[in-house]
Amino acid sequence: MVEQATKMKRLINAIWIFNWFNSCGFTELVPVVGSRWDMERFGMVITGTPRHADVLFIAGYQTLKSIRRAQVIYEQMPDPKAVIAMGACTMSGGMYWDSYNTVKRLEDYIPVTIYIPGCPPRPEAVFEACMKIFHHVGAVPPHGKKFAKAHSG
Amino acid sequence: MLRKENKVIEDVSAKFKIAGNVQRERRVWVTIDKDNLVALCSFLKGLGFEHLSAISVTDWPQEGTFELTYHLWSYSEKILLTVKTKLDRANPCVDSVISVWRENAQIHERELHELFGVKFEGNGDLTPLFLEGWDGPPPFRKDFNWREYARQQHYDKSNERERAYYD
Amino acid sequence: MNEKELITIEHIEPIMPEDTDYNFYFGPAHSGSGNFGVKLRLEGEMVKSARADPGYLHRGFEKLMEYRVPMQNAVLSDRICVFEALNWNLVHAEAVDELTGVEVPQRARYIRVLMAELSRLQSHLIWYGVMSLGLGFDTGFKVAFGYRDYILDLFELITGGRVYPAGYICPGGVRRDLPDGSENKIRRVLDQIEEMTHKMQDFDNIAFSKRMKGVGILKTEDAIRLGATGPVLRACGVKTDVRKDDPYEIYNELDFDIPVREEGDAYARYLIMGSEMEESIKIIKQVLERIPKGKVREPAKITPPSRVKLPEGEVYVRNEIARGEGCAYMRSVGGKEPYRVKIRGPDFLHMIPVLEHLLKGVQIADIPAIYWSLNICPADMDR
Repeated sequence: MVEQATKMKRLINAIWIFNWFNSCGFTELVPVVGSRWDMERFGMVITGTPRHADVLFIAGYQTLKSIRRAQVIYEQMPDPKAVIAMGACTMSGGMYWDSYNTVKRLEDYIPVTIYIPGCPPRPEAVFEACMKIFHHVGAVPPHGKKFAKAHSG
Repeated sequence: MLRKENKVIEDVSAKFKIAGNVQRERRVWVTIDKDNLVALCSFLKGLGFEHLSAISVTDWPQEGTFELTYHLWSYSEKILLTVKTKLDRANPCVDSVISVWRENAQIHERELHELFGVKFEGNGDLTPLFLEGWDGPPPFRKDFNWREYARQQHYDKSNERERAYYD
Repeated sequence: MNEKELITIEHIEPIMPEDTDYNFYFGPAHSGSGNFGVKLRLEGEMVKSARADPGYLHRGFEKLMEYRVPMQNAVLSDRICVFEALNWNLVHAEAVDELTGVEVPQRARYIRVLMAELSRLQSHLIWYGVMSLGLGFDTGFKVAFGYRDYILDLFELITGGRVYPAGYICPGGVRRDLPDGSENKIRRVLDQIEEMTHKMQDFDNIAFSKRMKGVGILKTEDAIRLGATGPVLRACGVKTDVRKDDPYEIYNELDFDIPVREEGDAYARYLIMGSEMEESIKIIKQVLERIPKGKVREPAKITPPSRVKLPEGEVYVRNEIARGEGCAYMRSVGGKEPYRVKIRGPDFLHMIPVLEHLLKGVQIADIPAIYWSLNICPADMDR
């Protein structure tokens, strides 16, 4: 995993994550920050403001009240950005499929880049998703070919 | 055995002429009509039941009533006493017990007002607690079917992935 | 200058030097809070009043449980509060056991207590970690979450899940027995957690303790009136614990103390957390010595859930979960599903009345110390 990370460094240097840890995913995202599954060695850093962030983690189920706030945060993030949706609840409603207040399909509200299955997903799954994000951010140029040329090789 | 619990029932029924039963040790259940509810609660607080653990509402649509349960714990006697009372479902209105247990009762009543639609007279702050911009019926009542609601509002019949919810 | 184009400038009220009142939303996206918002009215740097804004995680648990049979509810009950999943599992399982009147085998009772105390240990480690994070002490955060992972590995070994044990403590006992060799592993983990408690005492440096001493003082009569329970109440001088006052499972056979302090401030709550961790380690050691042999589930032959009916009745179950008093009221009319389940979490009271009371008249810089010392869990409040 470490040599893959060094290859990715040529595409991007780091991804910065906005600290919107909510719902059940909080308990598995905090060990990702913690000392056992340290994410800073891959260049992933937590920021407190959406303006500095590249990636938004939607860590679990969202209710109608919190999805409105997440939408505002998503709009404040500058391009290029990605949304990682963690957990089964973002895909189909998960265990609360018959609740009147939760959001069943996250893609109706925010465009999602990658889904991570699990309830909650293990930290290793979170890292695998982040590796795929590294591919995504390097490969898809948001402002035309010039951006990709300047940032590859 | 069960001496303390029986004594509590004796004290309560001497003053209020109601029956109670001792379910097991440390669990006593008492039923009263809603007009004497606040008087009973003040009396119980004087007996030592100073901790209000929870207030709950059970919906009985066939009988047309709401049943309120007040769960009280006494730190000194170490007994849990539950007071049950019934309200009319069409016009659920009861006096608030804020005068007895203050903020503890106030927040429980606010939640129940939002979720069941029960009106508590004397509680000044019955604004919505959990839901924002909810204009449907009180969500925890028995006649609001959540599975039907979720199927209509959130799922899409034409979507392949969600066909299972409609079978 | 062209006379026709006279541009009028709007008269804007100048901000006078004495205007210092403003509203500040310490909300869910703030790095210092959780999934929970508090609306503050500030005068300069001092809080005049606070109003809690819950509801970001409201799923409607109580009614979700009415649609599911008890074995399905056992899996759902871990998610009432994600930090102490096994403790809520135990609350639900006890409620159903008391309704059905089943006699839970002794070995299952001991395993239930073992898992509940391990869950309390890892919940207190989360408390320590986020409290250090809120106060800016990053080392404490990283170390606490590192040690917590030893306990999560134990959970994975015994129940199959790191965070959610998939209803391991179910009505009738526990789902399966402890695997071979788990006793040695548990003892090794306990040694490591003891090492962590020693480290916590070493980390108690001036910067940490000066920020929390005398901050967020809760007096005894206010605490009882506002409905505080658990460590928050014990820090105010009330010696009460549901495990001693209203014993459940096998707690009346075990020997442990209840740490109590008189000051009622954030530092007292922090010290109680450390003492409670040591008491939990003592309890687990006693459980490991006394655990009997036998079956772990009653009935041993599993009947399909669709055939089990709950007898008619009502119960109220009280447990001491890591944050305070967690209770469940269950009412059944003889069907397969419960008719009404009411879940009372300690954080419902800690986050709304107690927090609003404690935040009056404090400086902004003290808000993290008060907020995190109450050991909040928004999921438990909203359910």
